[in-house]
Amino acid sequence: MTDLAMRGRDVRLEGVSITYPNGFTAVQPTDLVVEAGEFFSILGPSGCGKTTILRTVSGFVEPTDGRVLIGGEDMKGIGPNARPTALIFQNLALFPLMPVWENVAFGLEARGVGKKARRQRAQELLELVALGDQGDKLPSELSGGQRQRVAIARALAVEPAVLLLDEPLSALDLKLRQHMRAELREIQKKTGVTFIYITHDQGEALTMSDRIAVMNNGVIEQVGTGDEIYSAPESAFAASFVGEVNALPGHVVATDGAMARIETASGQLVGRNPKSLEPGAQAILFVRPEQMVFGDPGNVFTADLKRRDLEGAFVTYEFLTPTGQSLTLHQTNTGTLAPMAQEARIGFAAQSAVILPEGPLARTGRELAAQ
Amino acid sequence: MKSDRLLNIYTGLFLVFMFGPLILMVISSFNNISPPSVTEWRGFTTKWYSFFWMPQDELRADPVLRVLDRDRLISCFGNSIWVALIVVPLALLLGLSGAVLLTRWRSKANGVLWWVLLSPMLAPGVVLGLGALVFWGQVGINAGLFTIIMAQVTFIASYPMLILMARLQRQPIELEEAALDLGASPFRVFRRLTLPYLAPALVSAGVIAFMASIENYNTTMFAKGGACTLATEIGAMGRNPNGHPPVINAIGTVIITITVAGALLHTFLLSRERKGG
Repeated sequence: MTDLAMRGRDVRLEGVSITYPNGFTAVQPTDLVVEAGEFFSILGPSGCGKTTILRTVSGFVEPTDGRVLIGGEDMKGIGPNARPTALIFQNLALFPLMPVWENVAFGLEARGVGKKARRQRAQELLELVALGDQGDKLPSELSGGQRQRVAIARALAVEPAVLLLDEPLSALDLKLRQHMRAELREIQKKTGVTFIYITHDQGEALTMSDRIAVMNNGVIEQVGTGDEIYSAPESAFAASFVGEVNALPGHVVATDGAMARIETASGQLVGRNPKSLEPGAQAILFVRPEQMVFGDPGNVFTADLKRRDLEGAFVTYEFLTPTGQSLTLHQTNTGTLAPMAQEARIGFAAQSAVILPEGPLARTGRELAAQ
Repeated sequence: MKSDRLLNIYTGLFLVFMFGPLILMVISSFNNISPPSVTEWRGFTTKWYSFFWMPQDELRADPVLRVLDRDRLISCFGNSIWVALIVVPLALLLGLSGAVLLTRWRSKANGVLWWVLLSPMLAPGVVLGLGALVFWGQVGINAGLFTIIMAQVTFIASYPMLILMARLQRQPIELEEAALDLGASPFRVFRRLTLPYLAPALVSAGVIAFMASIENYNTTMFAKGGACTLATEIGAMGRNPNGHPPVINAIGTVIITITVAGALLHTFLLSRERKGG
């Protein structure tokens, strides 16, 4: 496997912005550094500009402003066929009329490698993705997961320094998707290639990535490890897009060191103030459902239990306060469930909540379904 | 249902109008009478077919056949084949270029270009023929087989263009992007992806261009000068005030047979390809 080891390179975007000829700005001026050999995800809803960034790195889109550097080299004027990148398309784009091995060897063919050497290299790569005996089949004869792996082998064949993946798992069913996550991670580790992975699926981003960029409306809102983004979100969008969250809008009334007090429709609440908001600022307090508890840990509500979903290992409670604020609470299943249709006291500790400037929230599943 | 019956009657009439004349033509090509007739039967004969290869003395003995110029007819037919053999590759080349341009070149001029490239197909054939005649006359080339070829190509190229465009539009653009991304030059992308993908459509387009060239009359008529093709020669024979010789019916029958056989073969190959793919 040593001969398959490749060296990843870093990718830097310096002030890159992309405006389409019709005047739509897909990506606002962006600085981004992806380290060499990193598994980096760009996470955001559809239309947020993440695919445009990917196409800019691969060379299909020239930035309107700013520059793209790969391994320190300015990519200006260098076409997709001359960049040290390989792109895995959302629909995979396998060549339907070529057998699997020719698909994998296509990049080598383009580089003038002889047929025998091509065939041998294709075989090695097919074995890397556990398809050693499928080389002579046509892509249409393979299953979805196998096709996925052919696309990966084909991209790796050109020994890219950076592999760009555009939601490659979205067409697979859940089980296979989860399996492929682990497999992608493993291939990434084995080859040392820099992976830039585009997804709207936070689960994918959280499980696979070294670091994640959360993107919305052409702006990268936060870059960090999954843990950082989940536990210490820096924007209202990042907080609401990654994981479930209770959002309580209001305005800051007082600050005390790293903490702030916010006036909401459900009363005054205290949480962390990482953005150093001043009193008077419009803000939203975010708290994760698993940080919510029964009782009075500092911030407290009296609310009616509206829904109770037992999901095996844990229980989801949905409460409604008298002011109309809905609150979700996750609890591990201890064997005794809180009684339905009853008023309860629930709350959260100030340290577990974060107060962030007011901003657009990610759409909830219900809002998406209503579209 | 009443509407069903109306539809059946309509369909029946449509088929009669379409195939009736052809059937009469085929029948009369075996009737031993000239000018051709189906109302008067003078016995079965195949001489309107064997005209093309019967010995000279037999030919001279027949009162109808002996006035026909067999050698000229055969050489005109040869011209038709030559013209078609040159028109088809030219039309495919031009049609392919146009199709690639219109489907892959994203420009505001596309709409205009589409009409420009398609207009020869819509323009009256006589205009194209006359245009070729005048243009090449100015250049100093006399009307003949060359001007026929040039005039035909102007509009026949549109057929392959339309057929190839339809197929190119169904090829996902990602395939070409993927190939480029893997380091292929645009030429390699074309040779390894686009061309194999277009192969079946190229065959169809070639057959249609061939037929369009062989059967073309009006454009060829104006551009031909002193030359002739099968179509113009049949036209000339058909204008005989005493009625045309049944030899023309025989030629027509052969053409129909070849066309039907070709269509059946095409359908067969297509269904086999679908099953295979």
